[in-house]
Amino acid sequence: MSKKSRSKLWFLVHSWLALPIWFFVLIVCVTGTLAVVSQEIVWLANPQMRASPPSDDAPLLSYDEIIAAIKKAEPQTLVERISRPDESHFALDVEVSYPDGRSVTVYVNPYSGVIQGTAPQFNFKGFTRALHGWWLVPFTNGYSWGWYLVSFLGLPMLASLVTGLVVYKRFWKGFLRPTLRFRHGARIFWGDFHRLSGIWSIWFIAVISITSVWFLIKAALYDNQISISTAPVAPVVARESVPLTIDGAPAPMISLERAIHEAKERIPGLEDSSVSLPANAYSHLSVSGRSWYPLIFQSAEVNPYTGDIAATRLLSDRSGLELVTESMRPLHTGDFGGIWIKLIWFFFGLILSMMVLSGLLIWTKRTALATANALKRSNKRPRTVVASQPAMNREATEVSR
Amino acid sequence: MNHVTAEKPRSPLSHFWHTWRFHINVLLLMVPLGFMPKYFADAALFRGDTGLGQREIGEVQVGPWSLRLAEFRNEGPVSDGPAGPIKYFNAALCDSCRDQVKATYLRIGKPRSLRAAGVIFFGTPYRMGAGVPVPEKTKTDAELWITMEGWDGAMHQASIPLSQASPATLAWLNKQGGKP
Repeated sequence: MSKKSRSKLWFLVHSWLALPIWFFVLIVCVTGTLAVVSQEIVWLANPQMRASPPSDDAPLLSYDEIIAAIKKAEPQTLVERISRPDESHFALDVEVSYPDGRSVTVYVNPYSGVIQGTAPQFNFKGFTRALHGWWLVPFTNGYSWGWYLVSFLGLPMLASLVTGLVVYKRFWKGFLRPTLRFRHGARIFWGDFHRLSGIWSIWFIAVISITSVWFLIKAALYDNQISISTAPVAPVVARESVPLTIDGAPAPMISLERAIHEAKERIPGLEDSSVSLPANAYSHLSVSGRSWYPLIFQSAEVNPYTGDIAATRLLSDRSGLELVTESMRPLHTGDFGGIWIKLIWFFFGLILSMMVLSGLLIWTKRTALATANALKRSNKRPRTVVASQPAMNREATEVSR
Repeated sequence: MNHVTAEKPRSPLSHFWHTWRFHINVLLLMVPLGFMPKYFADAALFRGDTGLGQREIGEVQVGPWSLRLAEFRNEGPVSDGPAGPIKYFNAALCDSCRDQVKATYLRIGKPRSLRAAGVIFFGTPYRMGAGVPVPEKTKTDAELWITMEGWDGAMHQASIPLSQASPATLAWLNKQGGKP
């Protein structure tokens, strides 16, 4: 095959990749973009989720003080887990269990311990993530087919990136001389826009598509009962080490501060961003958070009666493969370094959505038109070359210029 | 277009594809709309807004204590992973026994000892859950055994027929009957 006709073929492949499901692809991109900042959107909409310090030098309460404050305000409420969101302007998320059997998240002020409100019944964050992640298709046996449907899009997206760079000859020149022509009609504008935003989001498209392909592989591995995990089976507290009490009252547990202290002794640099209380008499207190590597959480299981560390899951316990695969999700969502990283992901998410849209606009304005023309011509001369080639030639040279 | 078709006849499949290819978008977008009621019903179920589970079994007396038992979903066991079919139950402890009960277990068939009491419940006394493995060859007259252990070392047991605990599981077992 000649060099020229090969580039034509690449171009044709690139032109047809997102089609004919472009609208589906667009909505997946838009919902993903929204999901990145879903927590922030809820924060804006819901004042109860905000943590305003009473004064500039107000100290944060310890988790024990938080539990004591909740116990005082609502003696019947049981705390299951406390998490401290990444950004300090968020209230603590506390998972609680009510006597009426409801399990909900409440927002607790980290300075005062005041329960500021209950998470709304409509969980916007959960909803956008479910819509983007598995198209709301329920998980019944293993992964939902919606998950496969969405994550499969990683493949055409990766192919779009590769073919796009192949047909856009000497694309690196676009970095030095950015072109965005406004006054030459919509077709030229969208073409420039598509190329310009394309080269500036090479890294982002690569990250999103590769991590999506990983999600596809992950589901396929899981559904075929193939495990790459080196994580040991979670231990239980030995029957002997759970004390019996004479009066039949629950055995006393160590304080959360003590548990956090033990965990930090064992894992230097551990942030105590989440503490889970034991889920029954034989399970552990779990302390987890990041340390120097922002993409992966480390955790320690602490015996709630003795304070002994029963198990840890450290960065160094993970295989090289796990370090890579467990970094995939935060890389995909941009949730690993606070608001600024999220805003970068959000911005490039918007750009990516616009690329789907501009790609379609170019396609309708060029490919469809060219196909129609070619069909008209082939009508007159039945044995002409493949449809739409003349238009492609023009485009290919225009791109290479 | 028509002329072309006349010259080079397309296969019906190709014609179908060319006519309807962009309608896939509409179909794909209807998927989440169709699943939305189920999504919100599930979210309410997980939060406990619609009660302990989809089907309340009722109060079961276990020695001096009692617990309210419910099927998490009103359906047969589900297989997820190598553990085989699992049936999830939820429970809430009685008001007076909340501080006395150290652990609650579920098992199909009578446990031989406390150490083989079955699966342990996770959660709070207000709402806790356990997933019981249900072997496909379980007899339809099997019983669901509840074992409760006190902080003082006391142990009490009770059982209810599986047919009462989960009619859906019984129906599922009957359907498995044909399998060896």
